[in-house]
Amino acid sequence: MKKRITLAFLLTTQLFLSGGNAEAQPKNQITVWSWFIASTMAKSIKAFQEKNPGLEVKYTYYNYSPEYITALKAAAASNSLPDIIGLQPGSLTQQYREQLAALNSHADREWGADWQSKIFPVNLKQMAMGNPPGDASFYILPQESQILVIWYNKEIFKKLNLQVPKTYKDLVIACNKLTGGGFIPLYQGAADGWQNENVFLMLANQLASGVVDEAQNGKSPWTSPPLVKAMQAWANLFKDGVFQQGALGAHAYPTGAQLFAQGRVGMMALGSWWMQESKFPPPLSPFVQNMNGYDFFYFPALEEGGKSSPPVGGIDIGYGMTKNGEKNPDAWKFLASLVRGEGLQQALNDLNDLPATSDFEPQGDVTPNIKEMYRRFMADLPHAENQRFLSPQISEELDSVLGGVAAGSVTPEDGLKRVQAVTDKALSKK
Amino acid sequence: MNKTAAAESEKKLLQVRRGSWVEQFPYLYVLPATLMFVGLVAYPILWVICESFRGANGKDFAGLDQYVRALSDPVFWRVLRNMFYWGTITIPLQMILGGSIAYLIERHTSKSRTFFRVMFFLPVVTSVSVVSIVWAQMYAPYYGIVQQYLRYIGVQLTIAPLGDPNTAIFALILVNIWQWTGFSMIMYIAGINNIPSELFDAALIDGAHGWNLVLRIVVPLLSPVTRSLLLLGVIGTLQTFPIVHLMTGGGPDHASEIFGTYIFKQGFVIGDFGYSSALSVLVLFLALGLSLLQITVLGSRLGPQTRRSASVLSPN
Repeated sequence: MKKRITLAFLLTTQLFLSGGNAEAQPKNQITVWSWFIASTMAKSIKAFQEKNPGLEVKYTYYNYSPEYITALKAAAASNSLPDIIGLQPGSLTQQYREQLAALNSHADREWGADWQSKIFPVNLKQMAMGNPPGDASFYILPQESQILVIWYNKEIFKKLNLQVPKTYKDLVIACNKLTGGGFIPLYQGAADGWQNENVFLMLANQLASGVVDEAQNGKSPWTSPPLVKAMQAWANLFKDGVFQQGALGAHAYPTGAQLFAQGRVGMMALGSWWMQESKFPPPLSPFVQNMNGYDFFYFPALEEGGKSSPPVGGIDIGYGMTKNGEKNPDAWKFLASLVRGEGLQQALNDLNDLPATSDFEPQGDVTPNIKEMYRRFMADLPHAENQRFLSPQISEELDSVLGGVAAGSVTPEDGLKRVQAVTDKALSKK
Repeated sequence: MNKTAAAESEKKLLQVRRGSWVEQFPYLYVLPATLMFVGLVAYPILWVICESFRGANGKDFAGLDQYVRALSDPVFWRVLRNMFYWGTITIPLQMILGGSIAYLIERHTSKSRTFFRVMFFLPVVTSVSVVSIVWAQMYAPYYGIVQQYLRYIGVQLTIAPLGDPNTAIFALILVNIWQWTGFSMIMYIAGINNIPSELFDAALIDGAHGWNLVLRIVVPLLSPVTRSLLLLGVIGTLQTFPIVHLMTGGGPDHASEIFGTYIFKQGFVIGDFGYSSALSVLVLFLALGLSLLQITVLGSRLGPQTRRSASVLSPN
């Protein structure tokens, strides 16, 4: 009886392990974690597997916060990171630098020595952001880029007879008219640090190009006049009614994006990724269909006769190969596919965002309207200012200060002094 | 089976048991539970304590530096203040509201009892993400749900409770009370149903009605439930995280920061595991201290009445 039980157990185990199919060939598996939209990643994986029939990609999707960053931390502590992980340049990449493989030699072998020339300058800068002095390795390779802009609803503007604002004064007038017309003027999800950072970067770079980059690298103080002025301008957006009332308690996603898509919002500070809304499963609002209801502009000149904000942006998402992944000979193949292959092409076809390199563009069902927007973004990408922070301490403190200044509990000067103190501390640790 | 056969069978069973290796090493009985405790509770606590003595880079030994840093960190004191507000407002209000609702449902409804129980318990089982999105929209002064109705009577909300540093924490406390009052209610319902009906009958005959009945009969007999809720409330307060993380992220400018969000930011966003571990250890000792204080002050030994009540409340 005992023997029979043992035999049955062994047979069941064998069946379970073989998946019940004795003829199935074991596939080499590549494990990937990211916050990248699962439906688009599924298309990228399908395209990759069609080209590489013996390989299987196991993708695990996480919400970015807290799920993804918590999972990464726990896996890093237990040395169980997957082969490939989704990354943002700067602080997130730097946190896992010791667990990541340097990708330069892999890239050289795959795409030739001049592969870097195809990557937009802002992305190239961000790829090495936060590396210790003397470390020229890339631990992240960018898949997609983004540019931050102010999107506006063309139909609402037409209805209220509004023009695209050229100056801050025009913007305030437009916002007053939008509010009077029963619309949300410029929706700001100011409970989200990232959205506040984005608008602040638009303001600061308009007043002095690259000033935030200089400050975070310790080359100029955070209390310099352009940054104080930018912080004051940030506070004014709340006082002058440019942002909706209660913006500090509002979130960009899902609430803001839904209201914007429904046509209840005049403007919203988002990025080139907004175009992907047109590829979401139906039903779609008439504004979102083919992006017919939207267009974008850069933040208007704060002063009469001044220039609007320059393009600000950089890497939307990139990928790194972990040291565990380096042991898997197939991991690089999928990373290469995501960055400059059929995987990237699928993401672009879904209009997920802009490519990180100049030699790719979306294919398939893309309307002339979207193509034209795409062309404008791509023309601006080579001149984009850096959007990313090299240290999470600095970006966290800036987020807090932006919230405090907006609420009126901190003055711009005092707030920037706080950011300076944190920057000094962060830079001294390097 | 006759008696002889039964005795023989029992004897055989005893022999088998005596001969088994588990019988020879009786401590093996507690091994699974001990392993689980060590692996899932003791080891993580020890690991966090060890991490709290490390510097910001996670490598160098820093002694008590991280604890000293916490005590001189203004955000830490703001967090402590917020936790104090959270505990002192949430726990008693949830108990009073939950107890009142439970009493009204159990003593003053009959056919609709199940309906009300379910309705008031619904927020407890609703996803925190859904709760946070709905309440954030309700609080929104310009386009919010409440505002849509107020517009009909010409009222325009001008305050944003979640965006004002003076009100953000209280706005979150209100959401928490709304979500968790149902839990207090269900605990009190179990407690009320455990009170012998003879006691109510006797009290009524003696002339106890209304408030008299509630204050002199129901409240004292529900004290074990109240003690349990107090203990769970303190622990729950210190464990609070998702509602704040999702609604304000601890902002604006740390105005609604609590231990959960602050530890999360320091450990997982900034990557300073030494500091986040030190904060976690402080929370651990705070929870331990408060629990011990409650057990000492309110009594740790359950009386016969309490035991009966506790057995009702126990899930098994």
